[in-house]
Amino acid sequence: MSILANKDTHVVIQGGQAGVNAARRMAEFCYLIKRPLNVEAFVYPPDAGKTNEIPYGSGLIAIPVYKSIAEATKHHPNINTSLVYIGADRAMKGGMEALDDPHIKVVSMITEGVPEKDAKLLGAHARKLGKVFNGPSSIGIISAGSCRLGVIGGAFDNLVLSKLYREGSFGVITKSGGLSNEIIWICSQFADGITTAIGIGGDAYPGTDYVSYLEMFENDPQTKAVVIVGEMGGDLEERAAEWYGAKKRRIKLIGVVSGFCQESLPKGMKFGHAGAKEGMKGEGSARSKSDALKKAGAIVPPTFGALGPAIKETYQELLKSGQVKEPVEPAVLPRLPKSIEEAMKADEVMVAPLIRTTISDDRGDEPCYDGYPASELINKGYEIPHVIGLLWDKRLISKQEAEIIKRIMMLSADHGPCVSGAYATILAACAGIGLSQAVAAGMIMIGPRFGGAVTDAGRFFKYAVDNKMSVDDFLAYMKKNHGPVPGIGHRVKSLRNPDKRVKELVGYVKSLPIKTPCLDFALEVEKVTAAKKDNLILNVDGTMAAVLVDIGFPIDSLNGFFILSRTIGLIGHWVDQKRQDSRLIRLFDYLVNYAAPKRREVPPLK
Amino acid sequence: MAKVLEGPGMGLMKKWGIAVPQYVVVTSADELAKLGQANEWMKKSKLVAKAHEALGSRFKLGLVKVGLDLNGAVAATKEMIGRQVGSITVTQVIVSEMIPHKEEYYCAVKSTREGSEILVANCGGIEVESNWDRVKRLTLDVGQQPTPEGLEKLAKDAGFSGALAKKMAEFAGKMFTCFDNEDAQYLEVNPVVTRESDGELVALDAVTLLDGDAKFRHPDWNFQFAAEFGRAYSRDEMEVMAVDSKIKGSVKFIEIPGGDTAMLPAGGGASVYYSDAVVARGGKLANYAEYSGDPPDWAVEVLTEKVCSLPGIKNIIVGGAIANFTDVKKTFGGIINGFRKAKSEGKLKQVRIWVRRGGPREKEGLDAMRALKDEGFDINVFDRNTPLTDIVDKALQNK
Repeated sequence: MSILANKDTHVVIQGGQAGVNAARRMAEFCYLIKRPLNVEAFVYPPDAGKTNEIPYGSGLIAIPVYKSIAEATKHHPNINTSLVYIGADRAMKGGMEALDDPHIKVVSMITEGVPEKDAKLLGAHARKLGKVFNGPSSIGIISAGSCRLGVIGGAFDNLVLSKLYREGSFGVITKSGGLSNEIIWICSQFADGITTAIGIGGDAYPGTDYVSYLEMFENDPQTKAVVIVGEMGGDLEERAAEWYGAKKRRIKLIGVVSGFCQESLPKGMKFGHAGAKEGMKGEGSARSKSDALKKAGAIVPPTFGALGPAIKETYQELLKSGQVKEPVEPAVLPRLPKSIEEAMKADEVMVAPLIRTTISDDRGDEPCYDGYPASELINKGYEIPHVIGLLWDKRLISKQEAEIIKRIMMLSADHGPCVSGAYATILAACAGIGLSQAVAAGMIMIGPRFGGAVTDAGRFFKYAVDNKMSVDDFLAYMKKNHGPVPGIGHRVKSLRNPDKRVKELVGYVKSLPIKTPCLDFALEVEKVTAAKKDNLILNVDGTMAAVLVDIGFPIDSLNGFFILSRTIGLIGHWVDQKRQDSRLIRLFDYLVNYAAPKRREVPPLK
Repeated sequence: MAKVLEGPGMGLMKKWGIAVPQYVVVTSADELAKLGQANEWMKKSKLVAKAHEALGSRFKLGLVKVGLDLNGAVAATKEMIGRQVGSITVTQVIVSEMIPHKEEYYCAVKSTREGSEILVANCGGIEVESNWDRVKRLTLDVGQQPTPEGLEKLAKDAGFSGALAKKMAEFAGKMFTCFDNEDAQYLEVNPVVTRESDGELVALDAVTLLDGDAKFRHPDWNFQFAAEFGRAYSRDEMEVMAVDSKIKGSVKFIEIPGGDTAMLPAGGGASVYYSDAVVARGGKLANYAEYSGDPPDWAVEVLTEKVCSLPGIKNIIVGGAIANFTDVKKTFGGIINGFRKAKSEGKLKQVRIWVRRGGPREKEGLDAMRALKDEGFDINVFDRNTPLTDIVDKALQNK
């Protein structure tokens, strides 16, 4: 047996995320005692109509969210208990709504910082209706082996360690949430565990006090003794003492009170829970409470540390008198399924990875590129080209190579608004498209005819050099197998109107003490092709390609240099149009050669 | 409970129709002199000047001056502003008119478990304290309003008669209205006096305690709550309060000068048992602290730094019960960071640290604490199998 919460308790939780977290803890307990989840509904207007997914064992249970308590109890008429996790400013309204529902008999409020007057009104309303209002600031209620309301009891391992899967003989009532767990633990180690433990909340005027619960415990035959953990302030402990001393009680009462330190503190200094305030005339001190309990015949250990032995002694007496028997522990208990992460940590499962990476790792406090922490790279003077080297070719390139890459990027960053990429981005920007999509529109243009020839140019120049081909053999090979040579030829530039970018890059690279077989070969090719036709010059794609192959970059990465560099320009064009607030553009008719058939009659549909 | 100084307290009473003396709160003698030119009553009446701070025994400290004319009040203000009493500097003075009167009475409203109580006595001042049996009470359930008949009966029971009984009943009724509408927890007027000029009952002094939790529905509470223990908050205390107001969960910190045992326990309930254990063992508390409700690790780190900065400490008690949902590993992570920082600043020399805790991820958290030994900390770590306050016994064994 137990009080307040048992196997027939069906719960609605009022509130959002905090309520969902509580439901998860409650599901862990239900799983431990092999009962279906006792949470049937949530009430949280912002999420009404949705469901909250609560893990139960290795599965998930979808619990519906309703707009109001009435709606929840209409769909789930078994609901008899509500847990309130609503903010302090709306808690009273929520609590009243639950109390006023005819299905609901117990309302437990977890919310902290509820105005005292609201708490009193809720308590008074519940008493008038003959219902129970527990809290505010309650950590919850737990009946061993049958029902958990709220997060009381803590993590799954603690539920097991504290033997909450089966009934004991001790009732527990505390103001403090943290201490409720401690007492449950002590009862399980020094005695046979608990029947029900209740957190009544640390406020000055909890909705239900010790006396009401002591009365319930007195009427619960399974409960043989009750532990109350008090605090200075108010008179709840004195009232409990008065109740206990009023007549012969079946249950034994064990009580501790905190706040003795107050006697040696500077005057007026008070701390602890909201309710832990000494009264005006010295009433409510730890000493007066503790004395009252002693006088009423309760067992009052001198310190918290002596509580365990006192509980043990009480338990031994109960055993001796035959009122309780040694509990029988179940042979096997369900174990909470571990998450994949936990199981892997414990070396219990092996998971085949879905992807494999060889370039970077972000699992620490900062990303590492090919193993090098980004901050260290920065602080040791490395620059963007080095990061490119690490992520594209997994090597730390030299200062000289970095300089070449930097120059390539600077030369290729933009080429005015008229080229396909920039034009596409501008067109998109004028249509009001966002940055990433507009830049992507420009990117889409990069291909065999615009900017996308770097990789192919590099591949074929390298092929020729690797196979020691002569220029004539190479041109013949290309003509036969592939067509025009990528990296050769320009739409507007020619021998007479050379591409300054190419001159610049070639001049710089040739001034360095490095071997450039591909570039040399490409320049030889240009001599032959440009002699045939004026504009068949080595273009910027071809030059970049040859140089990059010469400094060892893999063929597949070569287009990346153009894509990366040109992204700078494309972003610039988008921002430029945006700042000008450019209007939508459409082609003028005169820019179109309408070569479609003249207007004609549509034949009947056959 | 949140204490309110006299000025704003009288403001609230005035708002609900209770007659109070004319008063001004000033921050300088010049300001008072200028106000004196603008307000007739300050020139005509005798004045009282009081330091407007959360200080006890102001009379003894010479921070209350009575029977002054305007010049006297300006001089008194000049003298009081800037005076240092312990950690408090007087920054405000409240100057009010003296109300000539003969009789003094008492009226208060206090919060009780069932609702409230209205207290009335036909004596006041210090007389009521030595004649507490003359205080009569009217008990009200929460949500219940006092009836005019009930109030009049209360006044008559307390020994008032005739027109005065009616006036006292009205006065008590207004006190209740103020109490009820302002989410007060305690209102006391001592003394209530009859103003000789018009026979009205006037509140001469006000003690006002409000429910700080109800602040959300009182946008006109534009005053600061006063510290309740007769001194101003220290800089470190205010820094922790500022953190506390920003986070989920809570962190609390109060300094107790002269102590040698520093407290860094978890939980509003357990923290007091730890403090009790220190006192029971003959130790001297250097502070009160507490964190609870799964606060973020950075907030616990700030709290830890403040605790480590307490002067002259020999032990730090990092106690705690078995948590329900506070993540032990995460909150201990904050404490560990705080310890490391303190150590790198040269603190924690010859300070022994005592840890006891349980709860979600307790093993990871306790292991991380234990590992601090390798970094040169003098740290002793215990798990749930060591009873709650045993670490205090161990820490103070050699006392």
